[in-house]
Amino acid sequence: MKRALTRIAPPVVTFVVGVLLAEWLIRALDVSPLILPRPSAVWAAATGEAASLLPALGATAQAVLIGLALSSTLGVAAAVALAASPWIQRAFYPYAIFFQIVPIVAIAPLLVIWFGYGPRAVVAAALVVSIFPVIANTLAGLLSVDPALRDLFRLYGASGFATLWKLRLPWALPYLLTGLRIAAGLAVIGAIVGEFVGGGGLGVLVLGAMRQQRTDLVFAAVAYASLLGLALFAAVGLASRIALRHWHASETER
Amino acid sequence: MRTRGLALAGWLLVACAEDDSKLTLALNWKPEPEFGGIFEAERSGAFEKRGLALERTGGPGAPVVQMVTAGQVSFGIASADEVVLARDRGGDVVAVFATYQTSPQGLMTHAARGLASLEALLEAKGTLAVEPGLPYVKWLEKRYGFGALQVVPYTYSIAPFLNDPTLSQQVFVTAEPIAARRAGADPQVFLVADSGYDPYTAVVITRGETLRSRPAQVKALVEALREGWRGYLDDPAPANARMGPLNPEMDAEAFGLGAEAQERLIEVANGALGQMSEERWATLAQQLSELGLLAKPPQPAASYFVNP
Amino acid sequence: MGRGVAFALEGVHRSFRSEAEGEVVALAGIDLAVAAGAFVALLGPSGCGKSTLLRLVAGLDRPERGVVRGIERGPGGASATRARSEGAARAESGTAPVAMVFQDAHLLPWRDVLANAALPLELLGLPAAERRRLAEETLVQVGLADALRRHPGELSGGMRMRVSLARALVTRPRLLLLDEPFAALDELTRMALDDELRRLWRAAGITVLFVTHSIAEAAYLAERVVVLSRRPARVVLDHALALPAERTAALRAEPGFARELGVLHEALRRGAALA
Repeated sequence: MKRALTRIAPPVVTFVVGVLLAEWLIRALDVSPLILPRPSAVWAAATGEAASLLPALGATAQAVLIGLALSSTLGVAAAVALAASPWIQRAFYPYAIFFQIVPIVAIAPLLVIWFGYGPRAVVAAALVVSIFPVIANTLAGLLSVDPALRDLFRLYGASGFATLWKLRLPWALPYLLTGLRIAAGLAVIGAIVGEFVGGGGLGVLVLGAMRQQRTDLVFAAVAYASLLGLALFAAVGLASRIALRHWHASETER
Repeated sequence: MRTRGLALAGWLLVACAEDDSKLTLALNWKPEPEFGGIFEAERSGAFEKRGLALERTGGPGAPVVQMVTAGQVSFGIASADEVVLARDRGGDVVAVFATYQTSPQGLMTHAARGLASLEALLEAKGTLAVEPGLPYVKWLEKRYGFGALQVVPYTYSIAPFLNDPTLSQQVFVTAEPIAARRAGADPQVFLVADSGYDPYTAVVITRGETLRSRPAQVKALVEALREGWRGYLDDPAPANARMGPLNPEMDAEAFGLGAEAQERLIEVANGALGQMSEERWATLAQQLSELGLLAKPPQPAASYFVNP
Repeated sequence: MGRGVAFALEGVHRSFRSEAEGEVVALAGIDLAVAAGAFVALLGPSGCGKSTLLRLVAGLDRPERGVVRGIERGPGGASATRARSEGAARAESGTAPVAMVFQDAHLLPWRDVLANAALPLELLGLPAAERRRLAEETLVQVGLADALRRHPGELSGGMRMRVSLARALVTRPRLLLLDEPFAALDELTRMALDDELRRLWRAAGITVLFVTHSIAEAAYLAERVVVLSRRPARVVLDHALALPAERTAALRAEPGFARELGVLHEALRRGAALA
């Protein structure tokens, strides 16, 4: 209990102090609410407009989760394929990097042309933006498998599939989870940008709020999006702790 | 280090303090016929001869209302509903000149669909591409309902319209319909104004503080704009030639057709160009209030504008 | 089987291409025959190719020149059909001819001790209940009866090495290859495991090839020591130790032991100086 408190208390305290300071400063400097709303105004919008924010959050979250599910499975599959041989890596890895560098704002309209308006294009945007960290990290994990263990598997005549399933994939799991941690935040960004063009969710809500000079609502929507990203990040962290709980048990005992 | 800090502070002070004769005007789109009068006033020296040094800035996506509220620019272009909404949020912006007496906003659809009215368009099945949050979209939804329409964001390209016969989209009467026609489509346009929602558009706004501290300058600017628009209505070609290089997506013919399409929306039968009435502002504020877009009750109509 | 030859290397050459050094000859003409049931230590300077030799014997690698003969080698050696039919027989009985133990225990951190020890049987296709039983038996043999459900992360280095040993023995191999297995452990643990290994060797009658760079360990453990020169490696000395069959801690203090150490030391020095 005490350990949980020492972990949670500092960031919470920082947050509260920061919010109070911002509230006072914005009031004292008389900053226009059109430019920078007070935290209390953002809170009012976040709670007062929950009727439209929550469904929007739900739509975005759904697209993000589907996008992440796809980028995990496709990303792992791609990493397994790339790890098969150095030739394949050299031939195809540069194209995986394409997903990293392409600006999603530029290809979102293309995604809408290919997938139509609505959730499919948004999922596609979330996928495009979040798949590369999964591929890169999982590949690193697959390539770093202990060579002695690989020899051991060969010694007992293990098939390629058995080696993949019982050795290489479990070995790469911590790397995959690191990649997912990064991918989660990116997927939220990708989904919202996708929504700017494809419609729905927090993306459209933000555009509408800006059009109506509702800066407080814009900040509230951003806060909701951040909470989504934070929740995903925490979920991956939790999954990590559970999945890897035996790996470094000796450290936790100390 | 210390001298650099002082220099920076000094620069900031200078940047914030508004030079008495130096003015900035932020546009909210690319140079197009909707700003024709401004470019004509520049070209003919209407600003210069009144002692105004006007610098144009802004562009698509510029947060003009915020820029004006923050004092980053002296003047900006917005629409009347943005003014009402901004004032409702506590921003002190005031309209001083209305380019369009009739709003050029509308919805464009394919003529082949044989739709007779806005109402019919909104009742039919299909896709409607509009910017999220536009007050007139809410108005239309409230008035007619959207039925089976799928509403999607409009991303300032007519490509989706050209490729989809059941897609309708928002337009500025001077721009997209002309582009669509020239791309081979047969568009049909319905003006939103005809349905009863008709805010002044391409309105020149400034801060309340500017009005109070420099009323003579504001008056001079408005007169210069009036002169520029008169000149543009009489002959748009020279100003169009000025705007052409700044907007490579439109050619001279597009500029000409746009200027022609907007004439009847700008011209006034009697009185001066750009002047506004309390009644129109009161109606608009009431409409926005009924749409639920205002947090507080509508302000008195006279607080939204002046006719300098 | 009888007391025949467990494996033999005849004129074995192996070289590698490395980025740093170009073409490197690891083994230059190795001749070595080991009788079934023998305990042979392989001694040599670091990097001289001892591990390479071990992998050749295991069947994980093939020589460029020369022959590696064995009773049955790993899947990398014998013809495919023979290996497959042998594999089927192995799967039923849960045996495999060769097992290896490495310098680090190299356990799977996500599995518990029992599952780690049972891994070879799992790869051979033995059903779950059967392999759990065999793995538990072997773990009891190495003194880990109480640690079956623990995970490698919770174990000391010595315990992890015992699991590695159990994993090697679980398939009742005829040949056990060890590559400096106790080098990373502290002295006391090392000595305890040395004794443990000899006990297991005696009990199971397996052939053991033990690679080490410790002269004292080689002398204490083995019946016979083969000393390799530095790269390109040749056999410098193939020496049957003049020591009693029973090895006790007291042996280390006896003059006979020191004499054998001297012989090995001299051979090592000679081998290290060779070009």
